[in-house]
Amino acid sequence: MSEGCRVISVFPELLGTYGDSGNTVILAKRLELRGFKVDFVEINPGVHIPSDGDFYLIGGGEDGPQARASDLLAIESPLSRAIDRGAAIFAVCAGFQILGNSFPASNGRKLSGLGLFRVETHRHLGPRSVGELLVSPLQELHLPILSGYENHQSVTEVLANGSPLGTVLVGKGNNFGSDPKVDGAIEGKAIGTYMHGPAFARNPKLCDLVISSVVGPIPEIEDIELTRSHQLLYQDRLNAAQAVKRRT
Amino acid sequence: MRIKYDSMRIRFAVRISLSVSFLLRRLGLGEGATLPGRILLGIAPNAINELSEGLRVILVSGTNAKTTTTALAKAGLQARYSVVSNVTGANMREGIAFSLAQRSSRHSGDEIGLFEVDESYLPSIGQALSPKVVALLNLSRDQLDRVSETRMTSIKWRNYLAGSPNISVVANCDDPLIVFSAEKASDVIWVAAGLNFKFDARSCPNCGAEIRFSADDWLCDCGFRRPDPRISLVQNFVEIDDRRIELDMQLPGRCNVANAAVALGVCLQAGVDLEDAAVRMSKVDEVAGRYRRISITGHQVRMLLTKNPAGWLEVFDMIGADRSVVVGINSRIADGKDPSWLWDVPFEMLKGKEVIASGERAYDLSVRLRYAGIDHRLAKDPLEAVGLCSHGEVSFVGNYTSFQDLRRMIEGNDTKFLPQLRQLVGRFSQ
Ligand SMILES: [Zn+2]
Repeated sequence: MSEGCRVISVFPELLGTYGDSGNTVILAKRLELRGFKVDFVEINPGVHIPSDGDFYLIGGGEDGPQARASDLLAIESPLSRAIDRGAAIFAVCAGFQILGNSFPASNGRKLSGLGLFRVETHRHLGPRSVGELLVSPLQELHLPILSGYENHQSVTEVLANGSPLGTVLVGKGNNFGSDPKVDGAIEGKAIGTYMHGPAFARNPKLCDLVISSVVGPIPEIEDIELTRSHQLLYQDRLNAAQAVKRRT
Repeated sequence: MRIKYDSMRIRFAVRISLSVSFLLRRLGLGEGATLPGRILLGIAPNAINELSEGLRVILVSGTNAKTTTTALAKAGLQARYSVVSNVTGANMREGIAFSLAQRSSRHSGDEIGLFEVDESYLPSIGQALSPKVVALLNLSRDQLDRVSETRMTSIKWRNYLAGSPNISVVANCDDPLIVFSAEKASDVIWVAAGLNFKFDARSCPNCGAEIRFSADDWLCDCGFRRPDPRISLVQNFVEIDDRRIELDMQLPGRCNVANAAVALGVCLQAGVDLEDAAVRMSKVDEVAGRYRRISITGHQVRMLLTKNPAGWLEVFDMIGADRSVVVGINSRIADGKDPSWLWDVPFEMLKGKEVIASGERAYDLSVRLRYAGIDHRLAKDPLEAVGLCSHGEVSFVGNYTSFQDLRRMIEGNDTKFLPQLRQLVGRFSQ
């Protein structure tokens, strides 16, 4: 294989506050390890967002930059066009929120999102959702339990015709409605979640799922050291989340 | 009558807190500042106001380099003053209250209280202490599960300084968030102290648009731009107005020359002879256990502490020629519970070094290092990690509690017989 893949990091300078740039690094490397030639592009404000990418990653950030990123993404809706072309999107936290139907600004005003996910994010006056997050993903995804670290104030409602990424086992996730709570959203090849960590560092299989949603079936990675490091981290974080659960 | 009662209460509180601190240090249960400070404030809530009476106060705040800059400023100010300070890094209300408790009751007029202050406490502690001088270093991401927004901090500082016309400010003009904080103050000395980590300063604090950076300047279309510095760095010299002052620093790294430049700004505001201050700053070779080299298991280990990506950029500069590097990452409350910032650190810069991943979050670090292409070994225990190194000269780089753990181990203060007690004290000291 020597196909090329375009990986696009969307506004890392605005939405990259929580180490989510790691998702981009991991995705690109795992593509390369499968023999793909990766064309990695960082798009920051002021530059036109290409719609010919294969993968789009968008991370978490503060309220002001979030609103600005959303405004910029609404111009000519490059992400919708990319999805129509078969691209995958992976969005975390603030990035996830702006891909929904609406989200709150820092002054509480409701802002329109891009509408890729059938979710609405609401202002929340209760305690901030901070801590280890453990999610049992939708069965049809054939993924192991997912681990992340969440840190957000708002809550996200998955609308009747939308689908969450999974059910929360430990933590808050979307933190909307009564228990059991759900986390994130999935819509075709677009996945949104509250899992930082970054998510792909803790859940390499989630990364591989995003990859194969675009390029088709991929082989296992042969780098034993790399796989071992991922396994150690994953087990360590599962234990940490279980400890949180026992305490509560 | 009431005054009398209060001062008795204060004296009692001071005595108790000093005794508790002595006991804690004796048992090797930490620096013995935060918990005693908490007891002091518990008995005498007004202690900060009362104990600082008549004291001329200087505050230092920012995300990085507070402790080092405070130590350098202390050295410089001692050219003229006796200085009460919290150089152990206990920089919230409790730590400052305790530093004040240590102030001798017989003090001369030439006394200065110099305190580093946690970013989020600057306005409230400032209100209690009425400082004459405030030094502002930088603002960047740090412990995001605790202080969620650097921008919010910047706005709070701005409001505080705009409403405090008696404060002289010394501020880093290379950091837009610092300039936004300080520009409404009535008197500012701008220092070109540099900004390695620009990530958090990209969007303009004034209008939200993108700030354009060039080599030593920045500006935004809204008109918000870098002020002209009165103090700047030229190689190993600090230029103040038309003067050149040499700094031959013992502390490693370019960033420490910049820290000294800010400290000289503080000395300028306090009317200290700058040549004399610079000589004194140059001689500082250790700050609360940091920077010094110690012999551990046959290795010469340089102790470095950093807790966030901005700090890491400076650390790479300090590692220098050391061929072995031990990195220790913990995620206790004092470190911030979420070490995902590791992905914002360019660990690729460790290429060619022997690297050992250590600390309670060694596995997070290990995955990060793999993707940076850095081969490494794992040893959760930092002492064991140093033992694994095959070169004599080692840099140990730890975040807060990882650094303190190793320091305690090598100072022989590791009370293995009292681990539960330490945990308990730790919990009350958070
Ligand atoms: Zn502007």
